[in-house]
Amino acid sequence: MFSGQKMLIKLRHTIEVLKATAVATYKEWTAYRSHMAVSIFVGPVFFLTQAFIWRAVYSSRTTLNGLTLEQMLTYYGISAVINYLTYDSADWDLQMLIRTGQFLTFMLRPLSYGYFAFSQKVGHRILAFWVELVPIYLIFFYLFKIELIPVAPWWALLSIFLSFVLVFFTNYCIGITAFWLTKTEGIRRAFLVARDLAAGTFIPLTFFPEIMQKALFFLPFQFITYVPTRVFIGDYELVGLTMSIPEIVGLQFVATLVMYGVSKILWRFGIKRFTGVGA
Amino acid sequence: MMTNFRLYLQGVKVALSSRMAYRGDFFMSMIIMLLVEMGAPLLTILIYHNGASFPGWTMYEALLLQGVFLLAKGIAFPFFFGIVWNTIGRVQEGTFDLLLIKPKSVLFLAIVTAFDSEDLGKLLGGITLFALSLSEIPPPGLWEWLQFAALFFIALTTLFGFALILAGLGIVWIGNFRVYDIFESVVNFGKYPAALFSKSVQTMITLIIPIAILGYIPATALLGKPAAGTWSAVTVSVVFLLFSLWFWHWMLKKYSSAGG
Repeated sequence: MFSGQKMLIKLRHTIEVLKATAVATYKEWTAYRSHMAVSIFVGPVFFLTQAFIWRAVYSSRTTLNGLTLEQMLTYYGISAVINYLTYDSADWDLQMLIRTGQFLTFMLRPLSYGYFAFSQKVGHRILAFWVELVPIYLIFFYLFKIELIPVAPWWALLSIFLSFVLVFFTNYCIGITAFWLTKTEGIRRAFLVARDLAAGTFIPLTFFPEIMQKALFFLPFQFITYVPTRVFIGDYELVGLTMSIPEIVGLQFVATLVMYGVSKILWRFGIKRFTGVGA
Repeated sequence: MMTNFRLYLQGVKVALSSRMAYRGDFFMSMIIMLLVEMGAPLLTILIYHNGASFPGWTMYEALLLQGVFLLAKGIAFPFFFGIVWNTIGRVQEGTFDLLLIKPKSVLFLAIVTAFDSEDLGKLLGGITLFALSLSEIPPPGLWEWLQFAALFFIALTTLFGFALILAGLGIVWIGNFRVYDIFESVVNFGKYPAALFSKSVQTMITLIIPIAILGYIPATALLGKPAAGTWSAVTVSVVFLLFSLWFWHWMLKKYSSAGG
């Protein structure tokens, strides 16, 4: 058999595994769709608070940090929508499996756990697309009049996809720390707070002092929310540095590759420590 | 009364002991619980440091409001708000039945077995933020402190009311911990001066769902500029507490002991 054919068979198998796992996860979570649908209430209510706060702040000015009120609300609207698309629980899932010993069953499967977890995320987010994202998008678009149309749709899609993968790898790395720490709830929460802060989920990164902006520029977290949101809006600026959309998406791709490498290294060391505790 | 108090202390002791199995994780979780709550104060600080403001409020007045809110949460969450996750978890696992067969009130037992040690971080954060912002404003007089104490007590009872409603929901909405998200999104309005919101929202958070009482109303009393409608808000809070008690018992009657 030619090596090309072998590769094709392997690729087809890989896709079939992804499809089967994603479909199973989709069906499993369909039973809990009402839990997911809570976001249809929570998302717009959080946004409404932000809208009131920023309207009051902008009552005596037209721009703040170079952003108009409309741009600020668009930023929050887009980042909320992107976060629903890229949400991930790989960290919690893996630490739970390790702590309870259930991870043992994955050691026996002819399948990489990382790939399985990623496939689960795909299924979970496909369900979230219908249950959470579409209704929230429509509420933001029609009720709050937020312009949720990307300036460069293909670049925005690519940037959101890279963010989707990057969030998975960063969370997966946190999950791997359970091989050393067993219970990682504390470090997981610490990381999530730091990540959301450094990713620009709470407030655009340009609001931070310059020295912090410089530090944030070199961390991978800006590529999770801030970069896809700015790509969606159509321009990028941080610490006074402006970059074109292809340049920043290229950097995002590099950051994703780096996190992939970090997760592989951590996994190699972590898996040696697994002893099936709790099994 | 003393027996109940001893039982509660026993619950605290058991919760702390079991959590100490993973000490490192416990202390980190406690610090994180503090940091998680710092989102609103951080937003406030960044807004003021960028030259903007909440109209009519200085930065430390706004931080005091958020400190009051966090202090109320810091007392409620470790000491009684745990009935929410306790009820949801027990109903899902089927162990809620164990509370029903014991010779004590189900509500009391749900509180006793729900002490949340990690949330002491919130209390620490609340005390710190409250003390720091208080030191930056003119010192309140005795009358302001008395008003504040009374309103703060009402804020705690209101949080108890919220806990009862969420826990009651957890009896019939099996395994849905996202009731916390609903709560957080709604009370988010309580972290900011009510004057920032539209008239209809102000009416909603003062006279329909008592949210302004959780931070804004006690803070304005302490600042010596009591909010309009304070008495109405107190009345609504009392009605809300009575409603939540009725709601909890109504949901309890609907418990079918099916597990999740």
